[in-house]
Amino acid sequence: MTSFAPTRASLWSRYRLVAVALIAAVAFPFIVGLLSGQSPAAVLAGEAGNAKFLQGLAIEVFILALYALSYDLVLGVTGLLSFGHAMFFAVGAYASGIMLKSFGWPFWVTFIGVLVAAVVNALLFGLVLPRVKGIAFALVTLGLSSVFFIVVQSSELAKYTGADVGLQGAPVPEWIDTNVHRFRVYLITLAALTIAYLIYRAIVRAPTGAVLLANRENEERALSLGYNTFWFKLFALVVSSLTAGVAGFLWTVQQPIVTPQVAGLGWTVAALLMILIGGVGTLTGAIVGAAVFRLLEYYLERWFGGTAPVLVGASYIAIVLFLPYGIVGTWRARTVNRRQGLDRLRRLFGIRARRSQ
Amino acid sequence: MTTTTRPTVSRRISNALKQNRGRAAIIAALAFIFLSGLFTMDTGDWVITVLRGLAVGAITFLVASGLSLIFGLMDVLNLAHGELFMLGAYVGWTVYVRPDTFMDMALPVALALAVAFCAPFLAPIAGRLSLSVGASRVVGVVLGVIGFLGAVWAFRRFPLSIWDLEQFDKTPTSDSIALQQGVQTVPEPAAWTGSAVVAIVVLILGVLAIVAGFAVVRYRTRVPEPTNARNLIPIAAAVGAVVVLLAFGDPMTDWLYSISTTYRFFLALVVALAGGFALGALIEIALIRPLYDRPIYQLMMTLGLGFIVIELVREVWGRPEFSMPKPALFAGTGDGCPGEGLGGLFSGCSTVKFLDTRVRMYNEVFIITVGVIVLVIITLLIKRTRIGMIIRAGVQDREMVEALGVNVRRVFTMVFALGVGLAAFGGVIAGPALGLSPEMGSRVLLLALIAMAVGGLTSFPGAAAGAVLVGLLQQFVIKAGSTGIPLPWSDQPFQPSPSLVPVSVILLMIVVLLVVPEGLYGREE
Repeated sequence: MTSFAPTRASLWSRYRLVAVALIAAVAFPFIVGLLSGQSPAAVLAGEAGNAKFLQGLAIEVFILALYALSYDLVLGVTGLLSFGHAMFFAVGAYASGIMLKSFGWPFWVTFIGVLVAAVVNALLFGLVLPRVKGIAFALVTLGLSSVFFIVVQSSELAKYTGADVGLQGAPVPEWIDTNVHRFRVYLITLAALTIAYLIYRAIVRAPTGAVLLANRENEERALSLGYNTFWFKLFALVVSSLTAGVAGFLWTVQQPIVTPQVAGLGWTVAALLMILIGGVGTLTGAIVGAAVFRLLEYYLERWFGGTAPVLVGASYIAIVLFLPYGIVGTWRARTVNRRQGLDRLRRLFGIRARRSQ
Repeated sequence: MTTTTRPTVSRRISNALKQNRGRAAIIAALAFIFLSGLFTMDTGDWVITVLRGLAVGAITFLVASGLSLIFGLMDVLNLAHGELFMLGAYVGWTVYVRPDTFMDMALPVALALAVAFCAPFLAPIAGRLSLSVGASRVVGVVLGVIGFLGAVWAFRRFPLSIWDLEQFDKTPTSDSIALQQGVQTVPEPAAWTGSAVVAIVVLILGVLAIVAGFAVVRYRTRVPEPTNARNLIPIAAAVGAVVVLLAFGDPMTDWLYSISTTYRFFLALVVALAGGFALGALIEIALIRPLYDRPIYQLMMTLGLGFIVIELVREVWGRPEFSMPKPALFAGTGDGCPGEGLGGLFSGCSTVKFLDTRVRMYNEVFIITVGVIVLVIITLLIKRTRIGMIIRAGVQDREMVEALGVNVRRVFTMVFALGVGLAAFGGVIAGPALGLSPEMGSRVLLLALIAMAVGGLTSFPGAAAGAVLVGLLQQFVIKAGSTGIPLPWSDQPFQPSPSLVPVSVILLMIVVLLVVPEGLYGREE
């Protein structure tokens, strides 16, 4: 659970972790370049090599992390079990693909269009919000996203969505072409992820976030305290849909292919796996989970080939059994023990114990 | 009967209608869709559409019934249910088309079972060790891994005569085609790789290590139960099976090849039901039970299990779809076929002429009959037996049943096993009608989930009704794809393309959940 921020904390102590992670992420391609014998200038120019390849993988991780983050707000923080989250991502991906390729709209207009589509989509989910709760909400959202999944694949709309092949080669402006300016795209996706994470953290720590958490823990209680939880849930859905829509937009821009796969149940399950691996409701867990998910999938496929899916499934079951609250969640639960142990050690040597938080 | 205190019949009906306005509206709308077909299409077409809908409903019901019992009793949404349905179909196919492989597999499985049933006898030893939590886990995992590797090593040395996925004329697909044409070749019996005694001993030791690892973790602090003579019965049965298989394996295989396919089909049904039951019990004990406090992780567990089953099936049986020939009882084509009317049902023909149309004996008549029989049996089980009483009580209030001193955990295992057994059984039933493919599970699971939601998530009769409605609606929409639905605002009839068919069923679910969130049969909480 995220604790509320102390009122008078220095800027450094508030953004310590983010700053360190950001510096490490920016330095990462150059370090890889140096290790594999490429000069920083070559890495900047985007020459083919290990650094460029790993940047491509990292871009996918950042976009998936953005997507997992948006699911964590809905499921982990607000406690809405939605099985249709892939639709949030797919609407972004398909809207940008259709507007760029089928309509030929300019890049920035497309971006605005994606945001509008995302808000409309969140309102659609919001329509069913007052009627159904719990598993019924999960099934209705699953139904909505399955309808979307089937409709984009239908032959009736093949002119716009490319039926079951999807949209190949959406025209992307040259300045954001991932093959030419890989490092630039890397920075853009990193920036998008960082901004989204900071906004989400601010939301969760603000009074609004407290109401969202209260809704997750006990909706009746929150209602009886006088909060109209509907508006808060709708707010969470809109924010989440905007984030996932931007993630889908970035996905289309960097691939630049849209396949129906991103609208299927498998894509929702991917988000669920990511936040379960990282830890539900922890926000940082979504980012860690996305990294573990994508890298596990990629490297198991590369090392073991055909048997990889079995190993992926087995490692998920192992994670569920041995890391009960996800990586970040288990880490946080253990931190308390570790702190107590350190304090005992300090007392043993006559040092005053640090004030525990 | 008119009394002054009770309202009249018409008043009672109108009250019930008022309270159930949403349900009445939905049922009226569906009835309108189904009955309007009577006027827009031929009687024969209508009959066949209804029968096909009922058959799809029967298969959906076999999956949805287990799903709904499991969800109602223990709040577990088993997303691997569709994949277990598919696994049942593949295992049934093996018994049916390649009994030699089945007999070869039966030997190591019976041997492993005989050893695994010894777990209670290891409890006193495990309890005596008094390890710490961490140590017992480490020891358990190490023993399990060593045992697993040993068992796999030994298993590969058993005489398994399976197909060769690399060569087309030796794949499951070619076996299916051969049996369909009635030319079945009996494959050569396989030989042991290396010494039979070494393989058997290593397999026994390996499974023993796995069981010991399990016992070390499970019985760490528990006071061991006194060993009981009843534990000996399953061990004796499994050992007996091993001895019989070792002694008479080859003659039994020849005999299985010589009997009619009808008997082999019923053997496949029994094997799938029993195997599904055992597998379900194993899954509940080993994987679901540790996670009752963390429902979302249970979802993830069952999903992961589903992926593993799909990949396993692809590894063993290969990727392409293949068919399962219909049993001889429903495949007759000779003189006097197709049969006429009700008498034709017993003529052994593959099709029967009935109300201006040709009804396929297997796809329509047999599947619907099986669905009805299973419905009756399960209903009797729930309404008339002691375990059914516990299930009904558990669905309503689990804590209360536990507080009354009923061993609910045991009932959980039974119900999960029953659900998986029914799904596997349904897989074999569906095999000859739908064909086998690794993707068949997820399609049925979607239909079953929708049926469950339509009928009320925790209600067993609701699951049955939902399955029938879903099946009927799906078939009527498929029919509309060829005839077209007249639209009032355009003179071009709307013909939904085949890929749009599932949308109709999903829309039904969304509408039902929005109008009556607790489902057609559910109760408001």
